[in-house]
Amino acid sequence: MTEAFIEVAIIFVKVVVLGFILFSLPLPLTWLERKIAGHIQVRLGPFRVGPHGVLQPFADMVKMLFKEDVIPEQADRLLFRFAPIVSMVPIFMVFVAIPFGESWTIPYINKEVTLYVADMNVGLLYILAISGVAVYGIILGGWASNSKYALLGGLRSSAQMISYEVALTFACIGVVMLASSLNLIDIVRAQTGGVTNWNVFYLPVGPVWFVIFFIAGLAEINRIPFDLPEDEGTLAAGFHVEYSGIRFAYFMLAEYIAMVSMSVLAVILFFGGWDDPTGLGWLPPIVWFLLKVGFFVYLFMWIRFTLPRYRYDQLMTIGWKILIPLSLLNILVTGWMII
Amino acid sequence: MKEKKREGVLDILKKVLFVDILKGLSVTLKYNVSRSVTVRYPDEEKWIPYQRFRGAHTLNRDEEGRELCVACELCVKACPTGCITVVPQEDDTGRGIADRVPKIWKVDLVRCLFCGYCEDACPTTAVRLGRDYELACFNRTDAVRDRERLLRPQEVPEGFEGGMVVSARFERTKEGIRVKPDIWKPRDKDWWKKV
Repeated sequence: MTEAFIEVAIIFVKVVVLGFILFSLPLPLTWLERKIAGHIQVRLGPFRVGPHGVLQPFADMVKMLFKEDVIPEQADRLLFRFAPIVSMVPIFMVFVAIPFGESWTIPYINKEVTLYVADMNVGLLYILAISGVAVYGIILGGWASNSKYALLGGLRSSAQMISYEVALTFACIGVVMLASSLNLIDIVRAQTGGVTNWNVFYLPVGPVWFVIFFIAGLAEINRIPFDLPEDEGTLAAGFHVEYSGIRFAYFMLAEYIAMVSMSVLAVILFFGGWDDPTGLGWLPPIVWFLLKVGFFVYLFMWIRFTLPRYRYDQLMTIGWKILIPLSLLNILVTGWMII
Repeated sequence: MKEKKREGVLDILKKVLFVDILKGLSVTLKYNVSRSVTVRYPDEEKWIPYQRFRGAHTLNRDEEGRELCVACELCVKACPTGCITVVPQEDDTGRGIADRVPKIWKVDLVRCLFCGYCEDACPTTAVRLGRDYELACFNRTDAVRDRERLLRPQEVPEGFEGGMVVSARFERTKEGIRVKPDIWKPRDKDWWKKV
């Protein structure tokens, strides 16, 4: 009885800690994004609130909280309030299935806890399915606003989701075939033992998997160069044009967490998760994991301030004419190689 | 024909290997780690204009500390906007270089268009357009600068070359806020011109 209670308590604590971390993660990430934007454009970025502007996100948060929460008169009030939650919740749910490491022994009480909330045997399927739900928030937000720009943003998002979700999933199939498991922990275990065992270096198909996954992932989380749903140039601000204050902050939060989740997935599926590339073990596995995730988060921001936005028809062409056939071919080659 | 075909193959190869995208990424990475060109005005740095700059007026004195202005009112006549007011006065105590000195010499900087005709008209080079460009004020009467104000020594001496960014300090005083430059501590903000 007490043991079961302790297990439940541990899970509860893990969920609370993870939720807290995820809720506070966008604060440093917005700061980082603005800093990187500044330095890439040979500016300084935020500098006045706190040393090097580190307190800027808190100032922004206070501003967001005190802003008027406008709901357009002709909007669907229920859906309008519902949409930010719908876009935010699935992104948080994704992290339930994500492993951050094998296990960790709490000092002093010698209790070993696993570094994941749930060990799902269909973890990858769960993540792909749940992150696909997040696009509903964008579609609903665009639709409920009763504004043509927002609606167009929502429509673009749904079309983009349909064309890129397929490629994203196909890119993951190769990894699943190689590890012969949908369990993310098994996928990471299959890659342990040095850089050459990582899926991205499974030549010749590994890099292609990764490139397809990365491009489709960029489209999936609406980052530049595929951020057509929130295109400032043609759609004012896209699906969240009518949102203000804290509801807008929810959308932003969802976007940043989605970026982190895509980085985490890329690391787990292709870069060996918490596997130590040097093989010396002078850093704990969780640090390696976070370093890799940090690199991908930087990469997403780096790309954002390098590439211009693709045109809508180019987006569709890349998705349907290149990525999907290529990923199908890739599955074929992978199957052939495994046999 | 063959050349064209080869170029086409090269083009496809370039696209497949993301050559252009990687080139772009390397450029942005280079900028990411390079120094920034932002002038941190008003906190730390300030731009000192060139000598030819035409900012707020100043009235000058000669080496013995006498006022150069002889209240000839030529600047008033030259001024296209009529923003200068001069009222002459007789004073033989040695306040000015002549016995005729200004009782009032004021300029309304709201009306002034900084054309510099007043300094051209001045026979004694008493009035000069200085290098003070922080002219914001709370109401229009504050923008009128009188003789006492204009006779104060300039923050940047006239002989100083200028055309550079120097260290500065942001100060809050009872009179208001100001950015005090330290002209002997130049900051290198021209590095990007040499790259």
